[in-house]
Parts: sequence; C-alpha cells; structure tokens
Amino acid sequence: MTNDMMQVLMSTVVLSGPLILAALGGLFSERSGVINIALEGKMLGAACTAVFIGAQTGSPLLSLIGALGAAVIIGLIHAVLTQVYNVDHIISGMGLNASILGATTLFAKTLPQLQTDEAAAIFPSSFFWTMAFVLAGAAALYIARTRGGLHLLAVGNDPDKSRQMGLNPVKIRFKSLAVAGLLCGLSGALIASTSGNFVPNMTDGRGYIALAALILGGWRAIPALLACLLFGFFHALELMLQGQPILGVDLPPELWQSLPYAAALIALALFAGHNKAPAGLGRP
Amino acid sequence: MHLPWKHIWLTLAAFALIWLALVAVGAYPPEAFREMIIRSVGKPAAWRETLFQMTPLLATGLAVFVALRAGLFNIGAEGQLMVGSLASVAVALAIPSAFGMILAIVAGIVAGALWALPAGLIKAYRGGHEVISTIMLNSIGMALAGWLLAGPMRNKLQESTTTAAIDEAAYIPHVVDQMPFRMNLSLIIVTLITVGFAYWLKRSVKGYELSLVGKNPIAAKFSGAALKKVTVWSMTASGALAGLGGALMVLGDEHRVYMGFSGGYGFDGLGVAMLAGGSPIAVVPSAFLFAVISQGSDSLAQIQIPKGLNGVLLGLIIIVFAAYRAKKETHHD
Repeated sequence: MTNDMMQVLMSTVVLSGPLILAALGGLFSERSGVINIALEGKMLGAACTAVFIGAQTGSPLLSLIGALGAAVIIGLIHAVLTQVYNVDHIISGMGLNASILGATTLFAKTLPQLQTDEAAAIFPSSFFWTMAFVLAGAAALYIARTRGGLHLLAVGNDPDKSRQMGLNPVKIRFKSLAVAGLLCGLSGALIASTSGNFVPNMTDGRGYIALAALILGGWRAIPALLACLLFGFFHALELMLQGQPILGVDLPPELWQSLPYAAALIALALFAGHNKAPAGLGRP
Repeated sequence: MHLPWKHIWLTLAAFALIWLALVAVGAYPPEAFREMIIRSVGKPAAWRETLFQMTPLLATGLAVFVALRAGLFNIGAEGQLMVGSLASVAVALAIPSAFGMILAIVAGIVAGALWALPAGLIKAYRGGHEVISTIMLNSIGMALAGWLLAGPMRNKLQESTTTAAIDEAAYIPHVVDQMPFRMNLSLIIVTLITVGFAYWLKRSVKGYELSLVGKNPIAAKFSGAALKKVTVWSMTASGALAGLGGALMVLGDEHRVYMGFSGGYGFDGLGVAMLAGGSPIAVVPSAFLFAVISQGSDSLAQIQIPKGLNGVLLGLIIIVFAAYRAKKETHHD
C-alpha cells in the first residue's frame, strides 16, 4: 500500500507539470487583463514544433528553442488580435485553438518528421517539471515583489487608471503574452517529451484544466500550483485505479477518466465565488 | 474614402496562412478551393451532404447565439449535442414509431438542457466562469458517451462502437426524396425555430430583457431584470437547442449514434454564432457557409488532403470576422 501511495505521489508530480507551467502562463496573461483560453493551442503548437525540430535536427536544445519560439509567436499573434484589433478575448482564443488544432492535425498526417516511431530528441521530462516548480516560486516573487509585477497587477486591475499613471497597458500585455507563450512552450515541450512523438490533439484539454486551476487558485501563483497538484493527483489516481474493482464492483474506465473534470467542476461550484478575478479582465 | 487598411492586412494574413497550410501539405491551393466548391455545392449529391451538415450547425449556432445574447459563452454545445443524441436514440430504439420520434426529439432537448444547467447555476449563483464549466461538462459528457457506447448501449453485432440503428418508423420524414438529392424535415424545423426566436427577441419583454442582460448586466439589474434567472434559463435554453441538434441528427440522417458522432459541430456553433454578428436571422446563412466549408474540406480527403483543414479555415474566419465586428462596435461608441 505504501508503495502504491509513493507511486501516486510521484505520478502526481509528473502529471501536474504541464498544468503548472500552463497555469503560470495564464497567470501572467490574465493578471495583465487578457483572458487566455488559447493556452491549449499554444501548448499544442509547442508540442508539435518540439517533436518536429527534435526529429529533424536531433538536438534537444534546438527542439526546446523551437517550442518556445512557436508558442511565443502564437502569444504575440494573440496580443495583436486582442490589443490592436480589439477582438473579443474568448473568441480570439477559441479561433486560435481551432486553427492550431486543425493545422497540427494536418501536419501530423503529412510531415514525415511527425510520423516516425522513434522518439524525437527532447530534454527529459524531469527537466521540465523541475522548471515548473522553480518557475512557480519565481512567478509568485516576481508579481508580489518587483516593480514589473506591480505594473502587471495595476494594468490588469484598472487599465484606465494605470494609463493615467503613465503606464502603457498595451505594451505590458504584449510582454505578458510573450511570457505566457514561453511558459506554454515549456508545457507543450513537456507533454511532447513524455513520448517523443506527436499525436493529433495530444494536449487533450489540459490547457483548459490549467485555466480552471488558475481560477480556483484565485489568480495567484502558489494557490494555482496547489490546484494543479490536485488535478494531477486525480489524474494519477485515475491511472492507478483504472481496471481495479472497488468493493468488488468493476467500475468503467470512463468514470475514472472524468474524475479530474468532475473535480474541477465541483471545485468551481464550491470555491469560485470566493475568488476575485482581476477587475480589468477582458477590457481594452 | 478611408480604407480600413488594418483589417485588410489581417484578412490577407489569414488568407496567406491558409495558402501556406495547403502548400505545406503538398496541395495546389486554387485546385483545392475549386474542389471544395464542387464537392459542397456543385452537384445534387453534394448539396444533400451540405444540407445534412447544416442542420446541426444551425442548431448549435443558434444555441451559442442565445447564450451570447445573455453575455454567456456556451463552449459546451459539443457535449450537449452528444448527450442529447444519446437520449434521443435511446427513446427512438425503445419506441419505434412516429410517436416515438416526437418523444425522442423531446428527450434530446431535455438531455441537452440538463447538461447545460450546471453551467448556468454555477455562473449565476457561484460566479464560476461558464467557459470553464462548459468545457468540463464536455469532457464528462464525452466520457459518458464513451461508456454508454462501449457498454450498455452498444450494438454487440457490430465491430465498431455504435448503437443499433433505429427503426424506419421513427425517421424524420423527407420533404424531397429524389436521389441523389434528398432532404428531411429537420433543417426546416430548425430554420423555423430560428425565425421564431428572432421574432420573439424583437417583440417580447422577455426577449428584450435577455438582450439587456447581455449588453449591460448592471443596468439590467437596476431596471428590474432578474439577472440570475436570465443567466440560468438562457444557458439551459442554449443547451436545449444543442440537444435538439443531436436529436435531429439521429432521427433525420444518421439513425444511430457512434463514437465521434458530434464531430466538432458544437465548437463550430461558436463560429456560426460569431459570424452572424448581432442578428439571429443571419445565423441561417452563417450556418450554410460553415456547412459548405465543412463539407468541402471533409471531401478533400478524396484528393489526398487530410482532415484538419476546416479547423484552420473556420478558426481564421472566426478571428477575421470578430475583428471586423470589433471595429464596427468601437465606431459606434
């Protein structure tokens, strides 16, 4: 039993890695006032690029740079759409997700680099999930303790007033979305690193779970990290309990699969009302 | 005249991306576009398929539109449609008659509504964002569908995970049946509902209240609109429409439910509603355009262009149109 417990704890850490990185990306973006439904698309784009470059060049470093670059470019496109064109944040996010899902599915079936059985050269997963914990601490300190962090909070809370104080909300949001891109890039590369291959829609909605964790964490780094660990724990539990009868009853695997989502839904119903969203979220 | 260069650039950039995606997968773009048109509206058989696809697109498009009017994003139409279709096929299998068909439509509507209800309640009474809750409900709905289709509702005689086919007595009747073209009543049903909704929105107090809540919730609250109630019932009505779409797909066209049945219609509904802008009647031509693109790019598989292109196309169209719409809105201010 203790062996099982250890295993669940280990896989909780591993499985919550992509969630933590993406939730931190969401933190920077939403704290600056941009609703980020597009975490999912950025992660998927990064995962696809990581595998493509890793397979093409055999260099894990270039693969990482490629993944980060792809996610930052998508992040900057997101910034242009929401800040320059004033496109609704949720609509631009869904549009980006649909396009990226479509494009990566298309590439997965046509590019030979994405079809090999050999694992592409990507840094080991442990590198990424260690980064996840380090960066969560760094993000919490940056936002609470530095001038840049306070500017970020100010712009997200009241763009009009911060404009009067001499800040440039659009510029800060561009930077935040670039940082969000970097973090989603790490998250996508982590997802790609576990198998080294690309499968269409391999992020499997984890960008949305990360966003739910961010909301449950009240748009704060450490509570969001804890929420991600909770979702990771449910996912780990799912993997362990699948196929094992509970009290003599065989439960279907789909029940366990829906566990993290049901947990997110219940948590949203129980706790969301207590958390305050950044007041300027979604505003120009 | 002052040309909107900023938006012309965006349109060209989107077009360039589509071009690049086609070239990257080894297709010649003009040829691909021509094939898309021919295979969606070029032949009677193509029209038949396009109009089949238009039914769920119009239902989910209207579903998203109704919620959007109240300021809510229903990303959950996909799950609501799937749950609705499962309820509908279960009833139609149990009661194989025209009466069963009517009951099956009702079952689809009710199941879709119930699947949206938690999102409405969480938003109204707990302040939890509907985008997250509807996405979670999608995943749970898909898991439920996976379980039902692999276990209790599976047709054991078949190798793939599908339910048994419903009896012909429970089919929605055809209005035109001259193969290769045929069309059943379901598209007409959804179109009439859309027209009725447009009229209701314009002429009734409740309809006005709905729009008011969407436009300015604080003003709506002060003028006496029951904010929470409107949130709950508009989300529920939205789910009901998506569920109706699932029921009509089962009874009119597919006659069974299988894994992957919903095929992204729920997500496309968001694009359909966006493209329609502020007008409910515009949901009809918008759904038609999406059906053409969807059918066109589906059939491109026959000339070795794999699936995925319609995601790129529809995603970019949503973005470009939303940008034009945002421009119009800022000009009005």
